[in-house]
Amino acid sequence: MLEQYLLAFVTGLTTGGLSCLAVQGGLLASSLANQIERDLLNAPPAPVKKGKRPVRPARPNPAGGRGTSTALPILLFLAAKLVAYTLLGLLLGWLGSFLTFDPIMRAVLMVLIAIFMVGNGLRMLNVHPFFRNFVIEPPKFITRAIRKTAKGTDTATPLFLGALTVFIPCGVTQAMMAAALGLGDPLSAALLMFAFTLGTSPVFFVVAYFTTQIGASLEKHFMRFVAIVILFLGLVTFDNALNLLGAPSVSGLFTVQQAPAAASAEASDNLTLRAENRGYNPARLAAQAGVPVTLNIVTDNTTSCSRDFVIPAIKYYVLLPVTGTETVQIPPQPAGTTMRFTCSMGMYTGVIEFK
Amino acid sequence: MQKKTYLITNMECPNCAMILESIEDKLPGIREISASYKKGQVTVEFDEKMVSEAEILAAIQKKGYTVEA
Repeated sequence: MLEQYLLAFVTGLTTGGLSCLAVQGGLLASSLANQIERDLLNAPPAPVKKGKRPVRPARPNPAGGRGTSTALPILLFLAAKLVAYTLLGLLLGWLGSFLTFDPIMRAVLMVLIAIFMVGNGLRMLNVHPFFRNFVIEPPKFITRAIRKTAKGTDTATPLFLGALTVFIPCGVTQAMMAAALGLGDPLSAALLMFAFTLGTSPVFFVVAYFTTQIGASLEKHFMRFVAIVILFLGLVTFDNALNLLGAPSVSGLFTVQQAPAAASAEASDNLTLRAENRGYNPARLAAQAGVPVTLNIVTDNTTSCSRDFVIPAIKYYVLLPVTGTETVQIPPQPAGTTMRFTCSMGMYTGVIEFK
Repeated sequence: MQKKTYLITNMECPNCAMILESIEDKLPGIREISASYKKGQVTVEFDEKMVSEAEILAAIQKKGYTVEA
């Protein structure tokens, strides 16, 4: 169980931090609005040469060039964000206890998340104004309230704005929220969201604190890098959704190509599959066609998502025990059938080839 | 009272809308201002006796944004 929180933390630390920064960075900047305002007033307007595409606006510098004085508001912002998302986790876990997510629903959710992420990545790369539709803009009354609040210099300002980030979750956060909902337990879900949000915090802090050092041109490259990472993650999420739907996918193809050829193995009506922490072994099984096949799935101290085992073609879904054996009866299949199996996140995959 | 809509060519994030709207804090003649990152524009309703269009355009430029001619 601990590993899932560790995974959530690492996800936050790596991809989540970048993705959330892209979506919520504006609020962090607003929480330091006084410094930004001063910077903008002091900075000369961005020069525009005749007939040339205008340069980007003088980007607000969240660090305001006064490191130590801005460290506290950033920390308050992040602390409020952490508390807000932990409470959100609690709520999601409670809601999830009334819902059951079957693999198809998860896959649909993942496709929507993937579209959202790819759209945002393309938006950040300024591919076409159409992609601006993928951004979640808070209602006017909220932005107005934020602006009015941000004028304050008291500690309540960053605290309030940090808590508001809960209304503009990024793609990775939304995926984590879906996972929290799927846990169906308020405390576990709260802990999951806490671990994830804690993981996103260092990136937020470092970027906000060192923006002065990064500089406008490097910042532009950094944001492009973030956009490409989000784009890539969106495509990975879509590929994982394909796995979950039992459809051909890039990662599935890669897994099968890596696995030893099933052709050499004797086709059997009694198969054994080990669900390990890092995937399924073997990832390619040979089964006898035209007869019922017994699949024994063995776990041995398995705590990763490979425990959530799915065979989309026969709508089979089971949460495997940490250690033990689960048996599935697969109805007779014609020769040449390729039956895919996956974990419920679509990350780990494999195939059964019927001969 | 006048109402004008300006196309902004270099809005790059939703936060730009919030920054643009903040010009109303400096110009009391602005009755209503609404910026949209999605549309890449800002609509300003202002009292021309209190603030001129040139002042509004200057305030927008001061924030680092370019109005499409």
